[in-house]
Amino acid sequence: MTRRSDIDIHLVALLSAVALFLSSIEYMIPKPIPFMRLGIANLPLILALGMLTWREYFLLALLKIVGQGIITGSLFSYIILFSSVGTIMSAVAMLATYIMLKNRVSRIGISVMGGLFSSLGQLLISRLLFFREATYVIAPLFLFSALISSVILGIFSELFIKRSAWYASHGENRL
Amino acid sequence: MTRHDEPANNEKMFHFRITDVGIILLSLAISVASLFLFQSLDGADEVHVTTDQGQWVYDLSVDTMVDFTGPVGTTTMAIEDGKVHVHKSDCRNQLCVLAGEIEHGGEWVACLPNNVFIVIKGSPEVAGEGEVDDTSF
Repeated sequence: MTRRSDIDIHLVALLSAVALFLSSIEYMIPKPIPFMRLGIANLPLILALGMLTWREYFLLALLKIVGQGIITGSLFSYIILFSSVGTIMSAVAMLATYIMLKNRVSRIGISVMGGLFSSLGQLLISRLLFFREATYVIAPLFLFSALISSVILGIFSELFIKRSAWYASHGENRL
Repeated sequence: MTRHDEPANNEKMFHFRITDVGIILLSLAISVASLFLFQSLDGADEVHVTTDQGQWVYDLSVDTMVDFTGPVGTTTMAIEDGKVHVHKSDCRNQLCVLAGEIEHGGEWVACLPNNVFIVIKGSPEVAGEGEVDDTSF
């Protein structure tokens, strides 16, 4: 059992605030297809690996989903199904990759893994519930854009971790 | 993998590991594979129809008119001059009829209330220079 005091509430709050802020930036950027995302709101989830315990990590993922739902106004629509499944699948994939590979993988690999599973999750929902066969038409576009944006996000995360004094003081390994 | 386990050194911008390359290649492979998932049929365009009763395949170049039955009634699909449209449907909102004609691989039209899904499988539209998308009038 985890007591409430075991959760670093300040760090989770700070990171989810960053996710909320990045969600609003993401929302401002024009996109050719409504469901397409750059995924910049996932940056806190990439950086949080190693800073948070897995409980805190999933709490952050949950807060990101709710925050993103509020920003985009999709909290009570079917779109939330896409973003929550995408976020949860990518969070699980990134955490698993981090735990299994630790120092043998950089944030670039972790980010690409997250992007891949996020789009696979969303395509799965799309296949099962909404677009059925037509999912195969949008799949390549979805996967390629996720790959490109996640590589860029991963490079940014690596540079951030390298340079940030804040990260150096908080980035203790708690996992 | 031991040669990658050197201590962190600050001169490098970031540590790009062999595993990263592997993950990126995996992701790339899945992306490329998804391209072929849909375009396996080349040349002759086929019209695939999925309904509650099963799946049918029609030749896009042969004019025909077919009725499909679903939960709300009958949906009539017409193939004419290499184009497909829903001619008539017993659904309430008539979106499938309003959707108009489809003619290229990858295009689809569906009557969701009646569970009829029509998709053309075959060579996708190659957008020519300056070609105007006729659905975005």
